[in-house]
Amino acid sequence: MKFKKNSKGALEISFGWLFAILAGIVIIFIALYFSSKLINVQQESISAQTGKEIGSLLNPLETGFESSQTTSITIPTETKINNICDIDGEFGTQSIQLDQKSFNKWVETDVAVSFYNKYIFSEKEIIGKKFYIFSKPFNFPFKIADLMYIVSSNERYCFVGATNEIENELSKLNQSNLILDECNEGDIQVCFGTKDCDINVNLNLNYVEKNNTKMYFVDDSPELMYAAIFSEKKIYECQIKRLMMRVEKISSLYLEKESLTQEKGCDNTLGIDLGMLSETAKNIEESKELEIVKIEADNVDEGNNARRCFLW
Amino acid sequence: MLEFPFKFESCRNKKGQMKIQQMIFMIIAVIILFAMVGLFFLSTAFSSLRKSATTLAQEESMLLVSRLANSPEFSCGNAFGNSKTNCVDFDKVAGLKNHIGEYSDFWGVAKIEIRKIYPSGEKLCTEANYPNCEIFKILDKNVNTLPYSHNFISLCRKELNDKITYDKCELALLMIASEDRTNGN
Repeated sequence: MKFKKNSKGALEISFGWLFAILAGIVIIFIALYFSSKLINVQQESISAQTGKEIGSLLNPLETGFESSQTTSITIPTETKINNICDIDGEFGTQSIQLDQKSFNKWVETDVAVSFYNKYIFSEKEIIGKKFYIFSKPFNFPFKIADLMYIVSSNERYCFVGATNEIENELSKLNQSNLILDECNEGDIQVCFGTKDCDINVNLNLNYVEKNNTKMYFVDDSPELMYAAIFSEKKIYECQIKRLMMRVEKISSLYLEKESLTQEKGCDNTLGIDLGMLSETAKNIEESKELEIVKIEADNVDEGNNARRCFLW
Repeated sequence: MLEFPFKFESCRNKKGQMKIQQMIFMIIAVIILFAMVGLFFLSTAFSSLRKSATTLAQEESMLLVSRLANSPEFSCGNAFGNSKTNCVDFDKVAGLKNHIGEYSDFWGVAKIEIRKIYPSGEKLCTEANYPNCEIFKILDKNVNTLPYSHNFISLCRKELNDKITYDKCELALLMIASEDRTNGN
């Protein structure tokens, strides 16, 4: 490259060179812009794929007649799972959105993977490489869904003063981050009966107190108690609403079944109670009202047990 | 005398114009080359993305089919004696068919059907011939689908014979298929 100097000592660049330099700069900038966009798209697609894979891995956790199932997922890079619950539509939506760390910086993506048949109870953001997942069936009074609980291996929950039943169940889960009684500093303490822990469980009044908020569950439903322990209030309340939406839908399936089996000599005694259950479940606004739906569910259960042909 | 410098100027102008034209052609060629490389790269990336979406959908339907029979909308529960795994309540599923609009996206698959293995046949189930039929289409979204994933189930229902109600269970296949999105549908 030859640049001439004029008589005053300034550089004299020909128009051709100036044009080539400008055009080169523009081309390089365009190339950089598109490659950065492409990297973002690739990262979003990786996040979406991982999200979908996590969703698929939750399928085998659907229980048959087991009381619980457990598994763990390890992701090669540090990952933030955002648990998003929404009550719009027939069944509400469960979405998970993943942000992954790249060069020690969180790369945020907008792509969320959605499911209608899954109910994940967790904090709003779960961060780590290894995640423990366990599931428990929720019956109200018939099976409604399998509840999934996701906890990061970075967080240790220490259960103090739990009943034997709860201790046995937690021991069977064999999750290294769920500890009984011997708490360390930095553990999230879950206390039964006593107060002033990070999470306080009141088994007499059926509520879990966490971050100065109360989440209610019902008698004989340890699955909802675990859900409240591992969830943020907003997520818990949203999932309860979604579960009640499903109670409403499954009640109407049993109503259909009752009228179909009536032609085959079965009794027709549960219609009104199922209608009541469906209606109360539909109108629930928060977990505090679960007790009301529970009364209807118990009525329906009694009615079913008294039938010649069981509906469920 | 005056003509010479003018001729020389116009000759230099023409040469300059030629160079600018050459450069413009060069830039256009470079841009076209970049665009073609970009398009090729994007099409490869998208086709691999579609492939992985298809693989994921297939994996999901395989995992789902093994568990679908135990989901609340299908499972027998205790309705036919003790709890059974992979037992589908035919009467409940017949009720589900009437609500399938609400459930169309629920499981994230395009087709769900039950096919009796014994007695086998090709008779499609309708409200009129239920339960004397062999193929019960629960969900059909009328889209291109990937191959079916299936699982063996016992298909149970209540039957009436001489005023006696009894449980009847038959061997069947629960089949599901995910939507095929590879053709950009």
